[in-house]
Amino acid sequence: MSRSAKGIAALLVLLLAGSAAFLLLRPKGEGQVARITLNGKVVQEIDLSRVEQPYTLTLEGPGGFSNTITVEKGRICVSKAGCPDQICVHQGYISDGTTPIVCLPNKLIIEIIGGGSGLDAATG
Amino acid sequence: MTQRRAEGPHRVVQLALLTAIALTIFMAEAQLPPLVPIQGVKLGLANIVTVYAVFVLGPRDALLILSARVFLGAVFSGQMMTLLYSAGGGLLAWAVMAGLNRILTVKQLWLASPLAAVFHNLGQLLVAAGVMKSWAVMAFLPWLLISGVVTGLFTGLCAQFLIARLERISRGKDPGTKED
Amino acid sequence: MKQRLTALILLCALLTGCAAAGKGEQPLTATVLAMDTVMNFTLYGGGMGEEQLRQALSGAEDTLRQLDTALTAQGAEGEAAALNAADGAWTAVPQSGALLKQTLELAELTGGALDPTAYAAVKAWGFADGNYTVPNREELDALKAAIDYARVEVSQDGAQARLAPEQQLDFGATAKGYAGDLLRRQLEQGGITSALLDLGQSSIAAVGSKPDGSPWRIGIQDPAADSGVYLGVLELSGRSMGTSGSYQRYFEQDGVRYCHIIDPATASPARSGLAGVTVVADSCLLCDGLSTALFVMGLEEGVRFWRENSSLGFDVIFITDAGEIFVTSGLKDSFSLADREEREVQVLE
Repeated sequence: MSRSAKGIAALLVLLLAGSAAFLLLRPKGEGQVARITLNGKVVQEIDLSRVEQPYTLTLEGPGGFSNTITVEKGRICVSKAGCPDQICVHQGYISDGTTPIVCLPNKLIIEIIGGGSGLDAATG
Repeated sequence: MTQRRAEGPHRVVQLALLTAIALTIFMAEAQLPPLVPIQGVKLGLANIVTVYAVFVLGPRDALLILSARVFLGAVFSGQMMTLLYSAGGGLLAWAVMAGLNRILTVKQLWLASPLAAVFHNLGQLLVAAGVMKSWAVMAFLPWLLISGVVTGLFTGLCAQFLIARLERISRGKDPGTKED
Repeated sequence: MKQRLTALILLCALLTGCAAAGKGEQPLTATVLAMDTVMNFTLYGGGMGEEQLRQALSGAEDTLRQLDTALTAQGAEGEAAALNAADGAWTAVPQSGALLKQTLELAELTGGALDPTAYAAVKAWGFADGNYTVPNREELDALKAAIDYARVEVSQDGAQARLAPEQQLDFGATAKGYAGDLLRRQLEQGGITSALLDLGQSSIAAVGSKPDGSPWRIGIQDPAADSGVYLGVLELSGRSMGTSGSYQRYFEQDGVRYCHIIDPATASPARSGLAGVTVVADSCLLCDGLSTALFVMGLEEGVRFWRENSSLGFDVIFITDAGEIFVTSGLKDSFSLADREEREVQVLE
């Protein structure tokens, strides 16, 4: 194999190993703050570790329909949506920052920014 | 057919055939469950055709095939988002392959394919970030990198194997064919 | 091939090392159910051994449970319960005598805005057992007459106390603050230099700062939003804070919301125009009691009280029903609004 071919092979191995290592070894965030972004703007940040009673909130998006979000202690999900694919609903709950919930047609993103605001306690 | 660029009417047939193959793979992979929970992001299996085309036919023809596949794919699947993702991912992959054209040969297709797949997925993610107006989707990058290398390697090896087989057939190694 | 495999293994090892190094000192935490709420304690041992740290924590838990039993107005062993059942007779208050004295002092200082005998009304409205009712006019008049901290007598040595026969008392407004101060001192004596005592969110006491020297970050609940949504962050170092809000406990009837904080003057849920009050001071007891008192007083009177009592060394965050946020000057640098907040903080001098 030529030198550059070896280089490319090495690069691929690096990408593969790096991604795998990153996913497996990434330290868990300290806090559990869910950040809800709609159409590029942050509309709400919820500290999931301090939610006592589950509740829902509904957001209308630029896609012309709404997403209903269920917030529980330690996790969050999109429980209902008006989008054709329902990918966001099928994704179910997220409880850490590994993957965000995305509803593309409505430009909705729910991501857990582990310890983003780094709160140690909160008034109730 | 496998290692030479045809001329004239043969060339049109060649391009059309490759486009058809790419399109078929594209439509087939659309039936698979989504890789990441972003509507429209694909595995990118059809990319192998682009990679092959760049090496055997040259970057310009490869671009023709890519454009035709992206356009027709969007028409047949009926989703505009699909077009954006295929275009973004496909173009980035094509650009990288075009750049590597001098460096790699068709015998190293199996190596070029995973690289192209990685850039294809990166391209899709960049499009998604643009559409969502947020970098949050980049959280899926590790997943897409891994799947890119794995699927790219898979399709690359398949293609490499297929090419080797076809070479042998066209050289008349199998009994019953006309001797060159 | 072998070289590449080696490189891959080294890479993974490197990444693992980075992940482990990033962890830092781990605190000892405990969740305790006491005083009708969920409490969370976080202790950093610093250089001390794990055993010693554990002992400090369990010592704190023991003290808390003891206090809970002694102070309650609902359990049979509670001294408040004993006072309430004594029908005006002198009752021994060995564990709560000091707290009672301090609570009554605060009541006097706040002109009766804080009044432990308001418990009679707390019970009448159903906040003690969950059977919510709106008392009628006669009941309210009787309650108003009974609510009067000045008629509570405590012996000189604080060992005995008595109420007027028609009075009922509890330590709901100051018990957690009292516990906070006690536990804080206990931990400090035990050698702990960094701890956070979350006594059910309405009272929080800090021992020092976090191990790295940064202050504890406390989210301030937005009274108008769902639980877990904060309008800002308060930085706390070695001090305490107490919060009273209409959103904490309430019931609704015929479209009207009744919150659990009773205005002693009306024997009814306070309607002062404030949705939440947070007091920051060195003493957790002061924070606890004052947050209730200031909530009852309302913004105007509350600010006046703050200006007239600066010697107490406390600061306040006022949040009105309309959503306005006022902060006294001492908190100017330690309180910050959440990024997405479009409201402005008004600083009071």
